[in-house]
Amino acid sequence: MNAPVRPGKGRNKAPKKGPWSSPVSAGIAGFFRAHSRVAKESFAFVSARLGTSLLVWLLIGIALGLPAGLYLLERNLGAMSEDWQGKPGISLYFEPGTSAEMISNVREQLGRDARIGDVALVSSELALEEFKAYSGLSDALAVIEHNPLPDSMRAVLADNVEPFQIKLISGSLAQFPGVKEVVVELTWLERITAIMQLVSRLGIILAVLFGVAAILITATSVRLAIESRLEELKVLKLVGATNAYIRRPFLYFGLIYGMGGGVIGAMLVSLSIQVIEGPLARFIGSYGGVLGIVGLDSAFVVGMLGVGGLLGIAGALLSSRQRLADLQVG
Amino acid sequence: MAEIELHNVTRKFGNGAEALGNVSVAFESGSMTFLTGHSGAGKSTLLKLLLRLDVPTRGQVLVGGVDISQLAEKYIPVFRQNIGVVFQDHHLLDERTVFENVAVPLRVMGMADRDIERRVRAALSAVSLLEKEKLYPPLLSTGEQQRVGIARAVVNRPKLLLADEPTGNLDPDLSRDIMELFEQFKLVGTTVIIASHDRELINSMGKRIIELDHGRLMGANY
Ligand SMILES: Nc1ncnc2c1ncn2[C@@H]1O[C@H](COP(=O)(O)OP(=O)(O)O)[C@@H](O)[C@H]1O
Ligand SMILES: [Mg+2]
Repeated sequence: MNAPVRPGKGRNKAPKKGPWSSPVSAGIAGFFRAHSRVAKESFAFVSARLGTSLLVWLLIGIALGLPAGLYLLERNLGAMSEDWQGKPGISLYFEPGTSAEMISNVREQLGRDARIGDVALVSSELALEEFKAYSGLSDALAVIEHNPLPDSMRAVLADNVEPFQIKLISGSLAQFPGVKEVVVELTWLERITAIMQLVSRLGIILAVLFGVAAILITATSVRLAIESRLEELKVLKLVGATNAYIRRPFLYFGLIYGMGGGVIGAMLVSLSIQVIEGPLARFIGSYGGVLGIVGLDSAFVVGMLGVGGLLGIAGALLSSRQRLADLQVG
Repeated sequence: MAEIELHNVTRKFGNGAEALGNVSVAFESGSMTFLTGHSGAGKSTLLKLLLRLDVPTRGQVLVGGVDISQLAEKYIPVFRQNIGVVFQDHHLLDERTVFENVAVPLRVMGMADRDIERRVRAALSAVSLLEKEKLYPPLLSTGEQQRVGIARAVVNRPKLLLADEPTGNLDPDLSRDIMELFEQFKLVGTTVIIASHDRELINSMGKRIIELDHGRLMGANY
């Protein structure tokens, strides 16, 4: 309707300057003056509405804390699995009476397979000895004349082999003549790997969703701040404030909201860790792990502040661009 | 060339209303002009064009020889920093002191605090409100509020001072005082344009008067 004519559009010349220059050349000192002034005013504004501000901080804190907590969990699972020595292994059990030649033939083939690391032969006699030792039934077993245990072979996967390939490998091993059964040992490592993948993907999904939520929360809060100061913004526009100048206090709000949310988020995460530390230690302890939470350090807190601040500014930009663009003056 | 020139300016709105039709008029630098006409004659529309809050549908608005409707977006703020505006509803910020209200245009320019203090005090004493600088606008009388609005409009020593019905809410005695205030700024070389439908008042001021009627200019004004 009365949309302003876009100056210079369709014309091939430099943007047209006004007839007058700025009455004041404030320079770099003016820049810092403006910023320190706006920062002070923004803190005053936020602390004057402490109830609302706390609510915003808590909301953003929860939004940041959940994915951050999952991130920490994933890092800790990763650290645990590095400590874990076990590698996924495969046991091959031979038909009773398989000849020594066939067995050594299988062993040779396994030795040539790049996916397979160490291979150990467990003869039926050795298996019986081990069984006696472990079970404490040596006396009872002594009466058995015939050894019921088969010959077997234990193979460990090569270092560069991913656990998910193990099914494929075991399938091909079962094709060897004389092999009766292939048993895959699902190790704790594999479970941790699977859980880590789950946690990591969940973390990414939550980070995206809650990151968007954090942006929307600040955008809404900043929008409310803008609405409460519309009269002032109109005056500013009339006396020749630039859009950057008008937007500045709201970007500071976004920053303050976001960073405050980051602090609350870090606090929530560390609180949660204290709550689950005991049960988690028992859970991991039962598998022989040692609990020592990694990653909850000053870098984590700084990271939370940074991410919070960035999301806050993004939210503030979103709502201030939108709202100030259609600000009607006069 | 005059400081401000309108050439065949037409402003039509989407609903077909023609607020200004083929208006051509010039304002000399340092002159004082009253713009009059019935309600809806197009006075506010003309002032908005000069402030670059609006652009004409046809024609040119030349300020210092520059067609301001061609002004790039980023040069508009600096353009407005050289203009003072006074409204009927003064647009004061109720939660800021008189001093801070008057200081707003200078803060926007990034002026140093010491200079701001000096300029604001000078502007407030020009409108005889120096002793009220710490008060908040709602505590002032209507006439005082309007004077704060004028102080804010002149604090940046504008090249152009625009007023839209500045005495609309005031009784006749106060209105006269306010108009006489504007005359002071004419003396320092500011081009002053005041829109007012109060014929009696502006006739008594002995200044140039131009009249709009349904968006058309009455008489010869070049
Ligand atoms: N944004 C707008 N949209 C449509 N019509 C408008 C708009 N602004 C002003 N007008 C019309 O333009 C005419 C002149 O208005 P205005 O300049 O405000 O008159 P005045 O200030 O002399 O009373 C009026 O008829 C008014 O209704
Ligand atoms: Mg009007």
